[in-house]
Amino acid sequence: MDKGTSLLKITDLSVRVAGKDILKGVNLEVRRGEIHAIMGPNGSGKSTLAQVLAGRADYEVTGGSVTFEGQDLLALPAEERARAGLFLGFQYPVEIPGVNNVYLLKAALNAKRKAAGQPEVDAYEFLALIKQKMKLMQMSESFLSRGVNEGFSGGEKKRNEVLQMLVLEPKLAILDETDSGLDIDALKIVSMGVNSLRDPNRAVVLVTHYQRLLGYIVPDHVHVLSGGRILKSGDRSLALELERRGYDWVQQESKVA
Amino acid sequence: MTSAPHAAAAPPLSPALRAFEAQWLARDSTQSDPLTVLRQNAMQRVMRLGLPTTRDETWRYTNLRHLTSHGFIDAPPSAPGLLQPTASLSLVGVDELAATVLMVNGHPVLPGGIDAFFNGIEITSLRDLSRTDPALVAAHLEPLSDADQARWALVNTALFVDGLYLKVTGKVKTPLVILHVSTAEGANHIAHPRVIIDAVPGSSATIIEHHVEQGTHRPLCNSATHVAAGRDSKLEHYRVFATSAGAEHIDSLTLRLGGNSLIKQFTIALGGGLVRTSLEADLCQPGAHLDAYSLLVGHEARHVDCVNIATHSARETRSRQTARAIASGTSRVVFNSKVIVNAGAAQTDSQQSCRGLLLSTTAEIDTRPQLEIRADEVKCSHGATTGRLDPDMLFYMLSRGLDRETAQSLLVYAFLADVLTGMSVPSARSAIEDALIAQLPDSQVLNKFR
Repeated sequence: MDKGTSLLKITDLSVRVAGKDILKGVNLEVRRGEIHAIMGPNGSGKSTLAQVLAGRADYEVTGGSVTFEGQDLLALPAEERARAGLFLGFQYPVEIPGVNNVYLLKAALNAKRKAAGQPEVDAYEFLALIKQKMKLMQMSESFLSRGVNEGFSGGEKKRNEVLQMLVLEPKLAILDETDSGLDIDALKIVSMGVNSLRDPNRAVVLVTHYQRLLGYIVPDHVHVLSGGRILKSGDRSLALELERRGYDWVQQESKVA
Repeated sequence: MTSAPHAAAAPPLSPALRAFEAQWLARDSTQSDPLTVLRQNAMQRVMRLGLPTTRDETWRYTNLRHLTSHGFIDAPPSAPGLLQPTASLSLVGVDELAATVLMVNGHPVLPGGIDAFFNGIEITSLRDLSRTDPALVAAHLEPLSDADQARWALVNTALFVDGLYLKVTGKVKTPLVILHVSTAEGANHIAHPRVIIDAVPGSSATIIEHHVEQGTHRPLCNSATHVAAGRDSKLEHYRVFATSAGAEHIDSLTLRLGGNSLIKQFTIALGGGLVRTSLEADLCQPGAHLDAYSLLVGHEARHVDCVNIATHSARETRSRQTARAIASGTSRVVFNSKVIVNAGAAQTDSQQSCRGLLLSTTAEIDTRPQLEIRADEVKCSHGATTGRLDPDMLFYMLSRGLDRETAQSLLVYAFLADVLTGMSVPSARSAIEDALIAQLPDSQVLNKFR
């Protein structure tokens, strides 16, 4: 219905972290149905962008604006952004011993449903849903009784992020280096999970360091973020070129311009 | 008298101590049985040493001047009117077939008068036992000590009027609850509840001491419990402080662990305005094992001070101390633990883990794990951390759509889990959880997740 309309619009976004300017005027528009890849060297501000969109409070926005479905995203606290349909897959998902995985997921889903004026999810339906998604992500049943990410391997944590995304069905998923640290089998599983969410009404922003992931999740747009700015945008062929030539040429090119 | 250094300058007697002495002198102490002699020694010792002040090491954070600046009279041996059975009085569910022994200000209310017998536990009043077998009672009072953490226990030893002697003779599956009711007719009352738990070799039991109150006045509760775990016995002991903000407790617990015995001990401070607990464990026979858990909840203006000392004096003994402290409002929580490994206690294995969680900027938590090792080949670890809720955990949960109150409550609850999961009486655990959660911010939210 809304295919092609704007979902996320970032205008001139500047962000300071611990007194240091990290983002220096980022512009990006994501429309429904699109998959964007944001690539760039280490320290370019990719993770900062992802975290600031999710609502991390200790990151200071010093300029610019972000709208989500036309609404001022930066005015919302993190929990309201999530309920509005934004999801961040963390680069380093935190372990929370003592808080059960299922509790968290159920609370998250119910928070979203409540915000949408829907009743709480039925316990049996919820368990059936989560089991179905776990099967897709090839996760063992023992997950159900464990604490959030407690004792998980790096790969299990990333799969858990994608599982949460599948249960919450966000309008916009921002996946921050969800591919890093995965072996090829896990990468395929994670990609399959992301692709299963592909939908004309949703959008995905992949933050990644490597082109490898983009062989499994084909992006519509590729952006190079470097030094706190998006220096170049293109289609999938840009990712292949970056793989071949590295990032230096983009930085040179932008200096000349 | 030996010339201990601090004996040289006897402290000035506080009004409280003068009153205790007067009470002692008014008692008939002409008998010469072992118990009377021991009680007399206890009184003389505390007269010489004085009541502890903040100059004493384990009392540094707890000032009792408001309590020692006046005299006390004994709280009444019975409650005015019938005991109101409120929800707070049922720590253990009926489904667990627990028996309850009522103690009013330290005076047992035993069915049928003198003795009772419950499923492998013989229950006798200390007053009766003191007449019939004073030597047995004397043998089970704690060894007299000059240590500052034991000073109020000396007062109890000298002045207790009655108490309970529990002899565990079998493998008892259902928990026994000692319901300590504090009640007074006016200000400046004191009670000295005394409990002796004597587990014969090979026996096992779960005993829950639950401190509650009735009426508008409550005495200072100076309770003391001694547990003697015989060879191969297994005991689970709880002391739960669930009185209101006006109540003050000084509780001294001594544990003597025989060969291959196991004591699992829970100290749960979730009530009272001032709660001071001490635990002294003597692992004096090979293979003895102590698991001590402390759940210390500072709430509003509460002051909680917990000192645990585990002394390993035999080979292959093991102690675990797990403390979780939470402080909100303007409360203060103090946790001092110490492990002493005496010469000859080779292959001692001890761990001290203390974590504190501050929920307000005006609350305070002080922790100090200590080790004194005088033996070789030992494995001792200790750790103490205090902080606020982890911002990364909080952000993770918020980013999933949970509201801040829910996220914070879940993290607080998770923080306590290490102690709660150790409890093997489901209904007691559940009742303690209920009481705990009721004191946490956002308790209604948290209840949905249990």
